[in-house]
Amino acid sequence: MPWYLYLALKQLFPTGKRLTFFTAISVLGVAAGVWLLVVVTGVMGGFGHKYRGLIVDTQGDIQVRARGLSRQPAEVMKHLEAIPGVVATSPSAEGIVMLRVGNKPTFPGIQGVDIRRVENVIPLRRHIIAGSLDDLDDDTVILSRGLAASLGVWIGSNVEVISPATLEKWQRDEIMLPTELTVVGIFEIGHQQLDGSVAIVTLRRMQDLYDLGEAVHGYNVKLAPGEDVVEAAQRINATLPATSGLYASTWMEAHPGFLFALQMEKIMVTLMVSFVVLIAMFLVTALLLIAVVRKTREIGLLGALGASAWQTAAGFCLQGFIVGTLGTLAGLAAGFLTLANIDSIFRALGSITGSWEEMVAIYQFTQVPAHITAGEIAGIAGYAISMATLAGFIAAWRAAKLKPVEALRSE
Amino acid sequence: MKLNEINEPILRVEGVRKSFTSGDRKIEVLRDVAFAISAGESASIRGESGSGKSTLLNLFAGLDAPDAGRIELEGRTRIDAAARGRLIGIVFQSFYLIPELNAYENVLMAARVAGVLNAETRQRATELLRRVGLADRAHHVPAQLSGGERQRVAVARALINSPRLLLADEPTGNLDEKTGDGVIDVLLGLCDETKTALVLVTHNAAHASRCARKFLLHEGVLSPAS
Repeated sequence: MPWYLYLALKQLFPTGKRLTFFTAISVLGVAAGVWLLVVVTGVMGGFGHKYRGLIVDTQGDIQVRARGLSRQPAEVMKHLEAIPGVVATSPSAEGIVMLRVGNKPTFPGIQGVDIRRVENVIPLRRHIIAGSLDDLDDDTVILSRGLAASLGVWIGSNVEVISPATLEKWQRDEIMLPTELTVVGIFEIGHQQLDGSVAIVTLRRMQDLYDLGEAVHGYNVKLAPGEDVVEAAQRINATLPATSGLYASTWMEAHPGFLFALQMEKIMVTLMVSFVVLIAMFLVTALLLIAVVRKTREIGLLGALGASAWQTAAGFCLQGFIVGTLGTLAGLAAGFLTLANIDSIFRALGSITGSWEEMVAIYQFTQVPAHITAGEIAGIAGYAISMATLAGFIAAWRAAKLKPVEALRSE
Repeated sequence: MKLNEINEPILRVEGVRKSFTSGDRKIEVLRDVAFAISAGESASIRGESGSGKSTLLNLFAGLDAPDAGRIELEGRTRIDAAARGRLIGIVFQSFYLIPELNAYENVLMAARVAGVLNAETRQRATELLRRVGLADRAHHVPAQLSGGERQRVAVARALINSPRLLLADEPTGNLDEKTGDGVIDVLLGLCDETKTALVLVTHNAAHASRCARKFLLHEGVLSPAS
């Protein structure tokens, strides 16, 4: 081991002591900055990741929507599935209906799914918390948890469905009874809005309720794993005739406002928290500079023992690097631990401050998500370690300027 | 001044001048200094405070450069850091031990810096600590050692690389008389055994008289003392 690395380690962890005050404070400073960066990046990234997962789980990787109606779904799906990267498609129709139990009406969104195809695209079964997707047929319905709760129904209950088409028929004085469906499943996705007010029926029932005939409103598309959604959407659009009225959009295009807001929020908060790391680096610089002043005679001694100026400087630079590395490792560990328990922490904080309900209302998620990528972790670690090394470099530069004979004479 | 006529000197100094500037004033510290010392010899340099003794030693060690003259160490006129680490050992008045290292590690530090750390130097460090009477204090840090013990560690450190020349700058200046005598005993004994040339700068006449050759530095001029 080079002597300057040995001395750097010894000055941080002296013989007979576990830590010096300088080491403890410096490592804690860097760790605090890294911890904050990891938590902020993880939580902000978690919202984006959760939102993406939510959209993919309910709408597939890509949505192909028709301007008006798409009247030949079988042909369109055959066309879509022939495009490279597309592994499955499922037709869908959606709208709003009045759902009534006794005299209590609600107006949820309703989605018609092709039960033979839907699971190839959307992992609907994963979100069923009561009942079974297998029981869904033209006379049954699956409700979101919030909707079931607000209607006061559960598995086996009956609900009446009145669609816009039914209302039109009533306006024309045609006699038509509301459709009665039996609840066979309850689902929960973890998004307050979707869990609050959505009903799922078969595509055939939806076509009947909306008088669509064989037509659908669009298609949900599943891509092969690792496929780039933006490129795949471009590929699909390139093959769709302009006259078809169909347009493929990614989950990002479909929800640009919310994602942009999240992205901006993440950038702003990360930028602000980065200053915490910067302040920690000033602390390391100040402490190392004090060490250089305090150890001026030692620096002179090292010169007398045959050390070159750059070797002595390297010792201080390495101290910054070691402090940065240890602080980063500690900060990452604390950050991961916090992210693993972030939901419990937020719930506890929310219950203390009474802000949990408002937070759920703003972000729509009933669980605080956390997601951080390997690239983000590498970026945070690289930033913290290089800043700490830079702090060491500033002290090292001052040490390198000292002439041994002057350093030995210093009082 | 005539050059000392000694065969094969390790250190040869001729016509060395050194001055410092203080404000507008130029202070001439060393004037035409000539000196030479061979292996196994010991020389003491006495002088008043501020007479330039430490400056002279810094020039010998290559830590400072003369304004004029020639300093030759084992035939080389340029004493760089690497050569200093291998060929010269230095003992300072204030010990300058590294507080984070224990006695054994402090001794070995000189070998580390010179790039000669190996099993042999480790064994030599243990042996030197035994010779200076600190075998049982090897794992104590400087804060746990007395002044005399610290200086003996510094002596062991100065000798770890088997230097050809040992420069001791008032090594007993911070010690009481009895402890100082002990340190000088160790210093002279080890240099004699290892045939290391010793230049001892001291205020203490008794310590100076124990060296084979004695010099006096007065008003920048180095001359043999009676």
